[in-house]
Amino acid sequence: MSTKAAITIQQLSKSYQESVLRHEIFKDLNLQVSIGEFIVLLGRSGSGKSTFLNLVSGIDQPDSGEIIINGIQLTGLSEHDRTLFRRHHIGFVFQAYNLISTLTVGENLLLPLELIKRTSRQERDTVAKLLDQLNLADRFDTYPDRLSGGEQQRVAIARALIHDPDVILADEPTGNLDLDTGQQVLALFDSLVKKAGKTLIMVTHSPEVLGKADRIFSIRNKSLAIARNGVLPGTGAAVEG
Amino acid sequence: MNSVLNRASRNFLWRHPWQLALAIVGIALGVAVVISIDLAMESSLNAFNQAGKAFSGVATHRIIAGDGGLDEKLYRRLRVDEGIQKLSPVVNAYVFMSKQTDAGFNLIGIDPFVEKSFQSIWQIRKNKNTSVELLTRLITEPNTALISEQTASRLGLNIEDDLTIDTDHGERRLKIIGLLSPNNAVSEQVLSRLIITDIATAQEVLEMFGRLSSIEVLIDKNQPDAAPAPAYTPSLEISAPAPGRSAAYTPSLEIIRKALPGNALLVEAESQSQAMREMTRAFSINLKALGLLSLLVGMFLIYNTMTFLVMQRRRLIGSLRSIGVTRRQIFKLIIGEALLLAAIGTLIGIVLGIALGQGLLYLISGTINAIYFRIDAASLMITPLQIGKGALLGITATLLAVLPPAFEATRISPVTVLVRSQLESGIRRLIKAANLISVVFILGGMALALLSGKSIVLGLASIFVLLFGFAMMTPALTLMFMKLIERVFGRLSGILVRLPVRMVSAEISRTGVAIAALMIAVSATIGMDLMIGSFRQTVADWVQTSLRADLYVSLPGEKMPDARAEQDQRLKAKLAELQDVKMLSSVLHTNTAIARDGVYAEAGAAAENNFTKVSVFELNEKSRPGFIFKHKTDNELWDRFEQQQTVIVTEPYAYHQGVKIGDKIRLQTDQGSEPFEVLGIYADYSGDQGHLAMSRRNYQHYWPDLGYSGIGVYAKDGVDLQQLENRINKLLTGQQSVKSDQAIYKASMEMFEQTFTITETLRWLSAAIAFVGVFSALMALQFERTRQLGILRAIGITSGQLTVLITGETALMGLVAGLIAVPVGYIVAYMLIFVIYQRSFGWTMAFHFNSGVIYQGLALALIAATLAGILPALKMAQTKPAEALRSE
Repeated sequence: MSTKAAITIQQLSKSYQESVLRHEIFKDLNLQVSIGEFIVLLGRSGSGKSTFLNLVSGIDQPDSGEIIINGIQLTGLSEHDRTLFRRHHIGFVFQAYNLISTLTVGENLLLPLELIKRTSRQERDTVAKLLDQLNLADRFDTYPDRLSGGEQQRVAIARALIHDPDVILADEPTGNLDLDTGQQVLALFDSLVKKAGKTLIMVTHSPEVLGKADRIFSIRNKSLAIARNGVLPGTGAAVEG
Repeated sequence: MNSVLNRASRNFLWRHPWQLALAIVGIALGVAVVISIDLAMESSLNAFNQAGKAFSGVATHRIIAGDGGLDEKLYRRLRVDEGIQKLSPVVNAYVFMSKQTDAGFNLIGIDPFVEKSFQSIWQIRKNKNTSVELLTRLITEPNTALISEQTASRLGLNIEDDLTIDTDHGERRLKIIGLLSPNNAVSEQVLSRLIITDIATAQEVLEMFGRLSSIEVLIDKNQPDAAPAPAYTPSLEISAPAPGRSAAYTPSLEIIRKALPGNALLVEAESQSQAMREMTRAFSINLKALGLLSLLVGMFLIYNTMTFLVMQRRRLIGSLRSIGVTRRQIFKLIIGEALLLAAIGTLIGIVLGIALGQGLLYLISGTINAIYFRIDAASLMITPLQIGKGALLGITATLLAVLPPAFEATRISPVTVLVRSQLESGIRRLIKAANLISVVFILGGMALALLSGKSIVLGLASIFVLLFGFAMMTPALTLMFMKLIERVFGRLSGILVRLPVRMVSAEISRTGVAIAALMIAVSATIGMDLMIGSFRQTVADWVQTSLRADLYVSLPGEKMPDARAEQDQRLKAKLAELQDVKMLSSVLHTNTAIARDGVYAEAGAAAENNFTKVSVFELNEKSRPGFIFKHKTDNELWDRFEQQQTVIVTEPYAYHQGVKIGDKIRLQTDQGSEPFEVLGIYADYSGDQGHLAMSRRNYQHYWPDLGYSGIGVYAKDGVDLQQLENRINKLLTGQQSVKSDQAIYKASMEMFEQTFTITETLRWLSAAIAFVGVFSALMALQFERTRQLGILRAIGITSGQLTVLITGETALMGLVAGLIAVPVGYIVAYMLIFVIYQRSFGWTMAFHFNSGVIYQGLALALIAATLAGILPALKMAQTKPAEALRSE
């Protein structure tokens, strides 16, 4: 893990209008995430975990504050530029898999590559190789609705990683999975993300994941409260609080 | 429970205002087109009836004559010698306002003090302006007239002003001595097109000296039966007395019949309007079928919307079922919603229909004027029956369209709520079944066309069955096309190109319906374009072949014996004397009474019309090749035509009357009924009722000389035709005119285009409804896949790319609709040409292939679908990805 900041969030505020009421989600939120760091985000239902990921990915826009990723100020970009940024730098794993039902497994993985103009024959091999790593080698031409939940989630993770993004955002990636499959998915993250030095922010309640995270935050009072700083004893990392 | 259920339904509907509005628009447009056609058609025919009532009032019968009218001595004889009191003589003709673009007026000459019991419209006005003194003035002062207050106001005229009119014989001046006040909307409309004079003024102005147009007869049905009914005189009887009519009619009627000359007939007053209705029946049915086509396309729109509303609520319906709501309650809920939409849509449709009807009235009455008979339909006559019919159609169509989704809703399980992909795989099974059913429909439609004899309604029904069959086949064909496109282009292109293809296939339940609706509208357009094109080419060929002379002199107006005929003869003689003229031909268009005894004895058919149109020809060796016979002819035909008691008949005449070569048609002459052998059947597209043609020599043997309707001038070789035309022009008077063959060709083709304006208009209306249908389907589709599109945005697809994706998808839908519509359009054209038009009008025509129509059809489908997709695409592209991802 590098000490260089991958993500810097300053004075971030976000609220939603609900009929006549304004519902404030975040107020003056600050966070700094280093390159290769694994952050876990906890919080009650509706506390704003998914909103936080949407803001970091540029899918959503804050009311005020700054989000800087790899030195690029996301909040200063237009909607179009944010999309292009996301295309290159962000990998997103959704809780409900969110695969494109009209594309095959292989095509779901090729799409992010095509968007960044990586369309050579070699890319097809890259996809096949990744699918093989995920034990989905025989599923290249299968449509997502023919896959099990675990298989779909593995494909979703693969799609988030295939274009080699700097930051991976995962929204309860094991939330819909049984224990065994959940563990498989976590192992996958461990091998593909941490070892490749990617920055990962994951929303999860899985104790298995909590044990592997560098830092754990909880959303409280419209801000992030640190729940644990450092990794579990025996992993070599310092524990600060 | 029900009120809570209804509230759940209502809340959901309100949250989808776009879909609601589009469904209502679909119903409203369908109903509007049907109602507008019905209103405009009925108003046109009513205008004819009401105009007749202006002078016939409650007359039970009418004495009418062919060209030349009735001798006024007949009126005196019937009234004075035979003692029949309730008679009203009438002289009438159409005239125009000088130097005004205003439509024509019916100039009616009447006896103002005629029997009051006729209660004609001009008599039942308010009395204040039409005192006895005024009526006396009408009789005693020459060239005086009455017009309605509205007409006077429109033309800026006052009492004692002069009114200058154009008649067939030139300009005439009338003095307005009084204004008629209508007492209701109907009389206002009728009076607005009337100029009333006394008999003598009308005869003078119209140059109908000593002649009457008709005599209105009022026979009291309770009149005592003073004399036994005489022997049956079939040649004069038009139709059997209506049921319930007393036999007491007979004595007076028989007296009248006996007194009539050969060219006159006594007809029941109602029979003429029935004849007019019958004459325009085919035209009316064809128009109404076009209206129903719009409704059919509208039904796809309703089906689509209701399916969307059911699919969107499958989770809600599943929840309701799990807490004990029965299938029946769900069904009632959906039907209730549909009824609400139908009621609102129909109501708007009725209002729109009335507005649209006003526009169509002008087009329809213009076509009736061009093809059938003279009418002046100024405004719509709206009856509760017509509105009721439209409302019933709108509600029935909606309920029919909503039945499948309503049944679908009842099948939603309370336990498992199907996901979209599962629903789609269910739909794919349905598509396979629909494919088989569609084959049955297509074969059934073809069988219906082949086996339905001469029926126009069944012929049109066969087109509808065929169209419906192809519409049911459309989803399967779409899937096939998409596979093909992907197979051909898929490997060469990227995923972003493949995605629209997949989107069309993946949501076939939605895209298939939209493509089917568009396909129907476009195939109808292609079919009608090809039919009109074929017809245009056939008519153009026919007109060019028929026009053999260099110049044509037109002699319009009522044909009269004696002085007027002599004028025509003198003109013809002068034309023949012109040094550049090589030879002449002539035609007289007139009417002749058909004898009832053994009409078409050999053909076995009964005559429906009391008069038949006859063209009397004086031909030469150059004009004879102008006839296109529908069979092989030999050299003897023209000799027999000139020398023997024979006729040739037009194709529509032969078709409608079932006449074959060799049959004998008996015509009523002054010497009694005479048989005329049918020598040939020839092409004629000047009218759909058809007529007979005989030589002038033959005609003059039995009927008085009525002059000419037209004279063909054949110039010597090398003559300057313009100079000859100028010289001929100097010989002409009044409305007479001379035109070159090219000018006539141009005018004929303009007339042709005019008669199809209404068809074109209605065709575009159905295309507009299809457009709304596609738009609605796409809006629904984009709404349903909001989340899916949100994912695409989340993984880096820009809003611009998304717009291109969605527009590409809709363009593909348009392309498929167009590709299917081309062959279907050809089938529709074939059916229209060889089934519908032949049955409706008796015309046969050649099928003229036009590749331009294919491209136009494809372009129409492609452009319509792409345009319909732009707004949904933009709307989705503007949706924030975060919001899209939050949606269900």
